[in-house]
Amino acid sequence: MNTKIKYTLLLILAVGSCKLSVAQSVIDLIKQRPSYASCNYDVYPDSITAKLTPAPAGKKPFYISHYGRHGSRYISNRSGFDTPYYMMLHADSLDELTPTGQQVLQHMNNIMRNTEGRWGELTGYGKQQMQKIGRRMAERFPEVFHPGANVTCISTVVPRCIESMGSAAMEMLQVCPQLHITMQASKRTQWYMNYQDKKLRKSYMTPEAQKALDAYTTTRMGNTRLMELIFKNPDIAEEFVNQEDFSYYLMKMGLFQLNTNFNRNTHLIGLFNTNDLYRMWQVDNAYWYLQHGACKLNGGNQPYTQRHLLKKMIADADSCIKLPDPGAQLRFGHETVLLPLVCLIGVNGFDFSTDNLDELEGHGWWCSSVFPMASNLQFIFYRSNPKDKDVLVKVLLNEVEATLPISTDCAPYYHWSDFRQYCLNKLAAYKQ
Amino acid sequence: MKRLLIIFITLTAAFAGVKAQSVAKDLQADPNRAAGMFYALPIGKMPKDTPAPAGKRPFYINHYGCPGSYYLDKKEYYTDTYATFAKADSLGKLTKLGKDVFRRIKLLCQDAQDRDGELTPIGAQQSRDMVKQLVERYPDMFTPDGYYSVRSIVENRCIMTMQEGLLQLSAMHHPIIARSKASLQENRFMCPEDKILTSQRTDSLTLLHYNRFVSLNSSDNRLMQSLFNDPFYVVSSIDVPKLARQLFILAGNVQHANVKNKVTLWDIFTQNEIHQHWRKQNAWHYINYGGCTLNGGYQAYLQRSTLRNMMHMGDSVLKRYSPLMHLRYTNEQVIMSMACLMELNDYGLHTDNLDSLEAYGWANYRIAPLGGSIIMIHYRANHDDPDVLVKVLLNGEEARLPIKTDCAPYYHWKDVKRYYLRKIYRYENRRFSHKKR
Repeated sequence: MNTKIKYTLLLILAVGSCKLSVAQSVIDLIKQRPSYASCNYDVYPDSITAKLTPAPAGKKPFYISHYGRHGSRYISNRSGFDTPYYMMLHADSLDELTPTGQQVLQHMNNIMRNTEGRWGELTGYGKQQMQKIGRRMAERFPEVFHPGANVTCISTVVPRCIESMGSAAMEMLQVCPQLHITMQASKRTQWYMNYQDKKLRKSYMTPEAQKALDAYTTTRMGNTRLMELIFKNPDIAEEFVNQEDFSYYLMKMGLFQLNTNFNRNTHLIGLFNTNDLYRMWQVDNAYWYLQHGACKLNGGNQPYTQRHLLKKMIADADSCIKLPDPGAQLRFGHETVLLPLVCLIGVNGFDFSTDNLDELEGHGWWCSSVFPMASNLQFIFYRSNPKDKDVLVKVLLNEVEATLPISTDCAPYYHWSDFRQYCLNKLAAYKQ
Repeated sequence: MKRLLIIFITLTAAFAGVKAQSVAKDLQADPNRAAGMFYALPIGKMPKDTPAPAGKRPFYINHYGCPGSYYLDKKEYYTDTYATFAKADSLGKLTKLGKDVFRRIKLLCQDAQDRDGELTPIGAQQSRDMVKQLVERYPDMFTPDGYYSVRSIVENRCIMTMQEGLLQLSAMHHPIIARSKASLQENRFMCPEDKILTSQRTDSLTLLHYNRFVSLNSSDNRLMQSLFNDPFYVVSSIDVPKLARQLFILAGNVQHANVKNKVTLWDIFTQNEIHQHWRKQNAWHYINYGGCTLNGGYQAYLQRSTLRNMMHMGDSVLKRYSPLMHLRYTNEQVIMSMACLMELNDYGLHTDNLDSLEAYGWANYRIAPLGGSIIMIHYRANHDDPDVLVKVLLNGEEARLPIKTDCAPYYHWKDVKRYYLRKIYRYENRRFSHKKR
């Protein structure tokens, strides 16, 4: 009996410490790279050094299918910045700002001025990210990007995506000038390039989900330390400053600056400690999970918003495999497509399904690892020759080899027929 | 004196006759020109360059370009026309030709569906072609230390045109140092606004003249008779001028469509009708973007900040040691007004007589077709050469400036700058001066 209790205690401890170590590592990441805390505003890791596993004997890459998010951009609309900015202006008009608060307002003035007229625009930094990704892709897979190869680029009709496409394509030509590149940005492809399923998207916040999110966030929002730092009388300021919104949006405003390299103003980030950032990350991560993950609280179907994209990618692959030299198909879109796509396919275990938001972190469901600015998913197809029936596929998530939720005898390579069947079964399981 | 006057009039008439004939000839040779600002500049024709005066080499290219060929912004041109024909067809009011036109419009509709405003593959090719020509014509500009700064307004077809041009540049130039940007922040010199000036475009007097011009140049009955079998139906149910105009616009846009090899709509118009429709469009463009004196003659000044930027850039690059190229992609209307403001090839024409445009050679398809551009190229012998020369290309061809020179088509930068800046300042002084005159 005694030993049993001991074992149970040990087990609890073990599980607990295991969880702790995982939680620690998100904090570590944020310590190293504060932008990690801003989830979809995270900056693409600048240098990708991950080694690629050599393909099984005789297999060569012959086709690449890709979906990528645009590079770093300015915030897409002003409301995110206006929220804390107006609160500060209000406080300033009432002379409620401390000297630190005055400084913060000055920095905010700078940021507002620099962002004016650039809402949603791709930054120079974003272009660099796309160029580097394009260059690495062309350099890593010269068998696909060879002289005369067809590279079909498709973008959503959003200017930052078009510019991202252009930046990547342009750099590929620097590696191989004889590529035959075509570009397209048409409303015609929106049905799969940027499909926002109204029915699913509107239904993610079920009462259960709302309850769970509220319970999860209450202990994590708010920042009394910040209030005392900025406002002379924090209790009075609360009349017109919503503490939770203020802290949250101010943090975002500060972190967003890491996406620019022209007129970058990172002074606001210093107002927050790692714990503040970490709590915000937790809240955001849970929120993104509810929106796009396979969360049981809302039926677990949210990833199916990208069913058309997955179907199209399979159909494209099917027809391309029949060609002797298909080249590459590159698609440029948005994070709200990439995240659910990754969850739908189950790359790196992101198909994790739960009704307990506290489990996300422990299970490695960290959205920032999926969809920072310029994030991308690359399917690299291998075969030994055009007649080879055993096509292999390897998935790169943000240019690092990733796992798929199926078995294989040659990881990180998977048999295309297995993976294809897995996807088709998964798609068939969805009842609208 | 009288005799002199008569001679003068005869001469003018003769002169006018020659030019008018040439527009007619142009349209006969290629009816697509009738699309005016929607005419797609042909690809692949490499214009000739007059050699620069001894020792002078290009060191700066300043380019303002139209988007390449694109699908119509307003899908109503397709859908409305389609609806008109569908209704008539359901009532059995279409002739055999009418039915065939209906079939062709259906094809055009399908081709253009969900593509409103989108750059076409021809547009992409035009953009690449332009950059290719620049690289081949001015190799001095494309050295390893060259810098290329590329801008677009925030309009998808312009951004796409920019990106296509960049692809061409990247394919021809290694390594490349190029920066591109599409930002609303630069509209002030890429696509400026002037609400007061634009509000004066079509005042009542101008409209009166224009409407009169339109009615004198309209004869759509033959076309309607050929399409519909019931004159009463045409009178009672069809907005004839509107439908004729829609068909004309569509006919001009077939050249951009993927189905251009399968379909044409020019055959339903007579040569004279095409000419008439073009004339109306041309006059409308002249009123809106040119120096038409009916509305004051200042509409082209909408682009004064663009021109001023061109002048100031010319000065600010003088200290550079390495070649610099600015490519800027904007709306075709900007190029149209720029050409008029710069008085390239006498397109600065000021007149209130809409009938005389043809005689003076003011034809929209010659000035700002899709894929068109204004490029100013700066030459000098070396870094310290005080006598910088410039040459302007309009749609790739060397253009004439309204300025004296001893080495046309090259002009002395100092003269060019003085002329244009004074022109702009004269206007602004007149408009914004606080002194009562």
